[in-house]
Amino acid sequence: MRLSRRAALNLWRAPLPSLVSVLTIALSLFIGASFVLGLFTARSLLTSWGAQASVTLYLDKATPDAQARMLAQQVRLQEAGLEVAYVDRALALSRLRADLGDLAGALDGLSQNPLPPSLEVIPRESLPPAGVRALAARLGQLPGVAEVEYGREWLDKLEALGRGLRAFAAGALFVVLGAALLVVANTIRLAVYARRDEIEIMKLVGATDGYVRAPFLLEGALQGLIGAAMALGAIAAVQRWLLPRAQQAFAFASGMSAPQVLPVHAAALLGMGALVGLLGSWLAVARFLRT
Amino acid sequence: MIQLFHVKKAYPGDAPVLDDITLRIEKGEFCWLTGPSGAGKSTLLKLLFCAESPTSGQILVGGRNIGRISQSGIPFLRRNIGVVFQDFKLLDNRTVLENVGYALEVLGASDAEIRERSLKRLEQVGLQRKASSLPRRLSGGEQQRVAIARALVNEPTILLADEPTGNLDPSLTDSILQLLFDANARGTTVVVATHDRTLLTRYHKRTIALEKGKLVFDA
Repeated sequence: MRLSRRAALNLWRAPLPSLVSVLTIALSLFIGASFVLGLFTARSLLTSWGAQASVTLYLDKATPDAQARMLAQQVRLQEAGLEVAYVDRALALSRLRADLGDLAGALDGLSQNPLPPSLEVIPRESLPPAGVRALAARLGQLPGVAEVEYGREWLDKLEALGRGLRAFAAGALFVVLGAALLVVANTIRLAVYARRDEIEIMKLVGATDGYVRAPFLLEGALQGLIGAAMALGAIAAVQRWLLPRAQQAFAFASGMSAPQVLPVHAAALLGMGALVGLLGSWLAVARFLRT
Repeated sequence: MIQLFHVKKAYPGDAPVLDDITLRIEKGEFCWLTGPSGAGKSTLLKLLFCAESPTSGQILVGGRNIGRISQSGIPFLRRNIGVVFQDFKLLDNRTVLENVGYALEVLGASDAEIRERSLKRLEQVGLQRKASSLPRRLSGGEQQRVAIARALVNEPTILLADEPTGNLDPSLTDSILQLLFDANARGTTVVVATHDRTLLTRYHKRTIALEKGKLVFDA
């Protein structure tokens, strides 16, 4: 009780250094959180691109119609969440004819239909590139399937892009968070430095290290919480006012929704704020306790 | 109460600040610690309240060898030692009452007890009416009286004063020293470091003189 009172009184009596610490924490967490949310958005965008890929199973030309339909049914039963459409040889040829347009006459010289029957498989839900690849591999094992096509090259590129993005994000996040912690610790250290006389006097009258440290830690945690709350407010403001305008401005982002900040994310950010404040205060006070 | 055996304090590359000091101060004694600037007076006091540790030798305070006290044990030793400095060392953003009560807060005393005992000490130093003032509104003499009240509020067995009148107008010296004599009369062992030789001739007490880190006089 007295500890909370002392911490609150210290914040009240020296508001400026506390305000600087709070703003530093708020800014650091805002940058870090925006980065993570940006990463989530990019990942969901990649996943949605990956989901557009469909898998086509080309069957042996000699596969009877009934057997092909049975195979389609087998795929539906074996793999949940797939749209499976059977394209018989005649339908394939008519599609080709339609695609060729004016050149369709070239097909008239063919003595027989050269196209095989096929099954077009489309995942109902978004699948990551690795999921599409695994699905294609499983379906390729089915009897009667001569060839599988799923835009391998496109998926490979998408996957490489995802890997690169992850590596970049991990490195950049590490740098951003490291820099934020350093800035916060130094800002709190300056605030503690302004109160070095108080620490000296506390030690002089017989205060234990724990007693000296406790109000500083509480103040640090409180500053961190307030900073995190400010960062949350700023993120909410950006999502509400800035992102809708950005989506109007950039075509590739249209239809892409900003990730929701759930209560669990807010709690994590508040916890991180408190932790950063606590850690920064601990480091700053430890330095003065040693001297 | 205080015993030093062949105590030496030296910093690397410099001549020893204290060299082979052996002395004994009895319980309830009042003594002057004198010598010119740089003689080692302040360093000796710092050794007694563990702000510094000796390079060699043994120091006993209240029967405890302070060289053997762990870092975590130092605060508990300091609770039995009141310290007064030339520059008062008061917290500017706390009231006079809060400054005095600080020493009791650390001991875990209740709010009521802190208030009662702090006001009693302030009454003894004649500053009860200034309890709610901030230190910067007080004169130098009044600030030093607050510092003495803080040093004495938890009734320490030892009071160390480092040039307590050094920053004050000579007319205030007697009233400050009288507070230290009063504390001594109540049984507190008092050691006062001063370079002001007029005090030694005016108040005949045991005098320990240091010069260039050596004990040169004790009588």
